Order: sequence, then C-alpha cells, then structure tokens
Amino acid sequence: MSKLNPTDIQGFALRGYNLPLARYVFLHMSSADRARKLTGRLLGKITTGQRWDKAKPQSTLNIAFTHKGLASFELPDATLLSFPVEFQQGMKDRGGILGDTGLNSFEHWDEIWLSGRVHAWVGIHAQSPSALADCYADLLQQIQETEGAEVVGYQDASAIKINGDFTPKEHFGFTDGFGNPDYLGVERRSQPGQGKLTPEGAWAPLATGELLLGYADEAGELPVAPIPHIFAANGTFMVYRKLHQNVATFRQRLDEWGAAYSGGKEKLAAKMVGRWRDGTPIELAPDRQDPVLVQDPQRNTNFTYGSDAGGTKCPMGSHVRRVHPRDAFGFNGRLINRRRITRRGMPYGTYVPEGEPVSDQDDRGVAFMVLNASISRQFEFVQQQWIDYGNDQKLGNDKDPLMGNHGGRGRFVVQGDEDPANPPFICSKLPNFVELRGGDYFFLPSITALGMIALGIVDPR
Amino acid sequence: MANQSGSVYGLTILSPIIDDQKAVPSHDLQIRKYLAELPVGVDSPFALAPGTHLARLVVMDDVIYVGMPACEEHLKSKYLVFESNCDGDLESYLAGLAKTVPHHLDAIWGHCVGYPGARDVDAFIGYMKACQIETTFYFAAVNDKSVLQTLRALQTQRAVADFISEHQGHDPAHLQQEFTGFMQKLDSTPAPRPGAGNIERDIKTGGRNE
Repeated sequence: MSKLNPTDIQGFALRGYNLPLARYVFLHMSSADRARKLTGRLLGKITTGQRWDKAKPQSTLNIAFTHKGLASFELPDATLLSFPVEFQQGMKDRGGILGDTGLNSFEHWDEIWLSGRVHAWVGIHAQSPSALADCYADLLQQIQETEGAEVVGYQDASAIKINGDFTPKEHFGFTDGFGNPDYLGVERRSQPGQGKLTPEGAWAPLATGELLLGYADEAGELPVAPIPHIFAANGTFMVYRKLHQNVATFRQRLDEWGAAYSGGKEKLAAKMVGRWRDGTPIELAPDRQDPVLVQDPQRNTNFTYGSDAGGTKCPMGSHVRRVHPRDAFGFNGRLINRRRITRRGMPYGTYVPEGEPVSDQDDRGVAFMVLNASISRQFEFVQQQWIDYGNDQKLGNDKDPLMGNHGGRGRFVVQGDEDPANPPFICSKLPNFVELRGGDYFFLPSITALGMIALGIVDPR
Repeated sequence: MANQSGSVYGLTILSPIIDDQKAVPSHDLQIRKYLAELPVGVDSPFALAPGTHLARLVVMDDVIYVGMPACEEHLKSKYLVFESNCDGDLESYLAGLAKTVPHHLDAIWGHCVGYPGARDVDAFIGYMKACQIETTFYFAAVNDKSVLQTLRALQTQRAVADFISEHQGHDPAHLQQEFTGFMQKLDSTPAPRPGAGNIERDIKTGGRNE
C-alpha cells in the first residue's frame, strides 16, 4: 500500500477544504530569478495535506503552474519536454479533443485566457472576507517585494448563501459536491460509493497513482510524469475551467418541459442530474427527495445501477450516471477505474432564488477544477466520451443534458415505465445550459518540487 | 464455429506482402499510401459493396519487441491484415466485394504475394480463403443483425425519438392519427445507405494527438 507523506503534498490535492470563500489569482512571471525568489517566499506558506488536528485555518494557500509558467523558471528543457503532450499544449489547443467548439470555443472566453499570459494559479480559500483579504494582501506584498510576478487577474468565488447561511448549492439549485473518489493512502473520512467496486460488490479506494504522480495507478504502472522522479512525485495535474451557467434559460426550459412531464418539474430536474435538488440520489429514492437519506454518509453515495439497466430510475443519460457510471458498463465497474477524477469547485456570481428575475448575461457559474494524474486519460476522456457523447451509455450522439455542448440540437431521453408518474419523456432542442469561459491545464507540484523550483536545482540527469 | 457469431461472420485474412528490394517505394509503403487515401463514408469500398459492419485494413511490418520479459520474435514476411465483421456467408460476401469494388481490391492486394486479381471471382475467393485464419474475437458493438437491419433500426430509433418529442402529451385520438401517418411514411422511406447518416461531430477522436 502506498504510504503518503501528507506534508509533502499540497492540501488542495488531498482534500476539499470546505471553506466558503475563494480567490483564484492568476500570475504572469517574466524573470526566472525573481519568480524563484517569490516561490521561495511562498514555500513556507503553502497549505499541505497535513491534518488539521485543532481547527481549520483562517485561510489556505496553494499554487500551480501552466507549462509556460514552468518554462518561465527556465527549468531544463529535458524536464519541460518530459511533461505529457496535453499539458504542454494547454487547454485552448486541446479544444478539438475536448469539444470546446461553438459557444464553448476560445472566441467566447474571458480575455485573460486569450493572451497566453497566465503562468500560475494561486488558490486562496478562506473562512471570512477579512481572512481572504489578509491572505491576498500578504501575497501581493510578497509579489511586490520580490517583483517575482504580475497579477493578470483573479476570480472570486463563494459558496452560495441562502437565508444567511452558506450552502453546498450551485446556481441551478442542486446540492453539489458529493462523492469524490477515495485513494489508497489518503487519510480521509471515506464513505461507501466513493472508490472502486470490488468483485464482491464492496467499495475500496482507487490506486494512489490515479491522483498523484510517482505511485502505481490502477494498471500497476507509474503515470506518465516529468523527470526527474523527485520533481514529479507527490504532484498532480489540475484542470481549471470557468463554467458560466445560463440560469434563466435553464429555469425557462425546465418550466416548459416540467409542465408537459407528468412526473412533474422537480422530478424532471432530478432525472437530468441523477440527484434531487437536495442531493438525494434518484437511484435510491426514485419518487421523492429524502432528507434522512441524503444526510447519511453510509447511503448517499452508496448505490449501483445494476438493477436499473434500463435507466427507469436514474436515466442512462443523467449527469451523475454519465460522469461516474459505477457498474453501469458491467465487469464490476472495472472499465471506469482509470477514468475517475477528483473535482473541486466553487460557485461565482450572485445567486438568484427561484422565481426572481434572472438573466443569462449575469456573470455567474462555477469555477470548476479537476485533479488527476493524467489529463488525457482521465479528464479529457470523461469530457469527450461521457459529457459530449453518448456511445458508452448506449445513447448515440446524445450529450450530458446539463453540461453538454448542445448548440440547440441536444436531446435528453428520460427512460420510463408503466407507472403514470414515471413515464418516458424526451427533452429536445437542448441549448447549452453551461458555457465555457476559459481555463487552462496546471501542474500542482509537491512541496519538494516547489523547493527545487525556488532553489533552481531541478536536474533531469 | 469461431468464425461465426449468430448471423455475423468474423473474417480475418493475412496476406503476405511482396518483398522486393528493387521496388521504390516498397510494396508495403504503396499499400499504406493507398489506404491513407481510401475514401470513407458512402464512397468507402466497404459501403459500396454489401454486407460490411466494420472493416479494418492494417499493414503489419513485424511484431515489435517490447522488452523483458517478452521474447524477441519476428514474422517471416510483412502482412496485410484484413479484418471484417460481415453478414452471413463468406463466399457471397467476398464475391460481393470482387464484383463491386474490384479496382480497390486490385490496387491494395496487387502488392501481395500470389494475388490473382478480382476479375476472376472464383480465383479471388480461393485466394482470400487460403489466406484466412480463424477469428476468435469480435467487435462487440455488432449484434446479431444484418447491416440492412441495423441501418433500418437506427433510422427507426431516430425517427421515433423525433416523433415522441414532437407529440408527447397530445390527446390519444390525435396521437393515433399522427402515428399512423408517421408509420406509413417511415415504412416507405428507404433505409439509409451504409456510411450515410453520420451526424457530423465537431470533436476530434482517434487522431494522432490523443
């Protein structure tokens, strides 16, 4: 079993901090010397995976670099060229593979992503606005004193507040953040349904190498990683995607379809996602949400699709069944164990309660992040085959109803049965409910690797 | 029989490629060049000739030594590998190819040892069968239906889904009337040609950048 040293791994890779506020700062670096100095200053401030025995800190700090960002440190060519091709290319150039076309193509992205100037992502998460401001002020001070970087821009994000309390909701009104995978050696309060299925039908953690470089993955191989080994180990790759949500269109279309669907609007919403708005899995509670079930960690991610092969409870094309098919493809789920991703995400923009005027033009959505050992094998596969295509789900060209790049031509089939409250239904001419506004691929190094960068001692020999 | 799964035939043919040092470019490269430019979609030879679900043509130079603990082995010759999941009877399938796309067959297999040409259909069938080896593994997405039945089923699925999304919730009498009309129209619509009806996908797959 992989033995991890959590003090050498950035905390953001190992756990969702569950802090309500965030600022993602994007830096450009123009001098290798000064950028190293800045990295050295930040080194001791980076939040590691070490357990918080007492209490959560007021704020956390993490850092990751694009390929151009690593090049700005003047790392040796042999190291830079040993990174996987997709990381070297960056997300914009992978648009064809990701299906980031039409409304999702880079012409529609925020200016910051078009210049190619983003070299680093600095993630600040905080308990309060003042803690966020303090942490950001300290970052700016380090930047100013070292002249190690220039702030190109930042993205603020915040958990959605309803009735004065922070919630795990996203803008469409669904409870988010269930069920990240468990990995061997990662200390975490784990729950059934979050790792991989065993032949006996139990749940076990995934191999560490599906998340972190330098460890065996589900094939027993080391993930493709840069050289030297010590520079890669305990690091991971991060995908950052700013996902704009067309809340007005979503509500309007859901109203229209919901009026025609005899199961009702809320059930149709649940069919699209695979969870009711409160997060209750529709596979376990096909008729109504269940506040007791959804609060029970032994049950709320603990289900399979084996007894629902026709999708009459949880549709074949629903969001959760697409992105985590569990046993839906047979073979005890073994076909999906190398396609799992760890997600982090935080809403941005103002939340508008149901029934109040809302516009698609408002700036709101999710700052979505993925952590995985191989962007091409894991994230890009999920995006291409499971979000923007339907063959594995036996759905032809249909895409994910919520996330798909439909361009007005999408279709979502709700499989039904003889129950009058659970009829088959087809939603057609789906528009893009979610649009991509930019992002890139980042390398989230270990603490050791950050130290090597700061000291200028990355040596591939 | 391992070559047959229900009504679908799994054909595997290995034809040795002519080894001629004086040929420039070599025969295997000439096959590669022709295959790289082979039409796809409705103009593919396998769409023009009847009965192909899925076909693959590969030039196999040699087996590659992948390091320990594998042992190093080599082929006696370079081979053209032809795999096809096709309908039913092998001889009529091969005859269909020889009669419909002989120029493609000759341009490809003309670089193989002992190829008699496609004009003499019996000789062609004899040659292909002589090069055949047993198939033990099938492309999983081909079920026990003919190409025509499959194309028909996909067409029906698309049409029915469109019908439902346009008519769901209508009153029963109107629905029945519309459905009757729909069925008549569907019955009289010819099945799409093989290789046609592919919805354009704006996504790159299977490319050399993946």
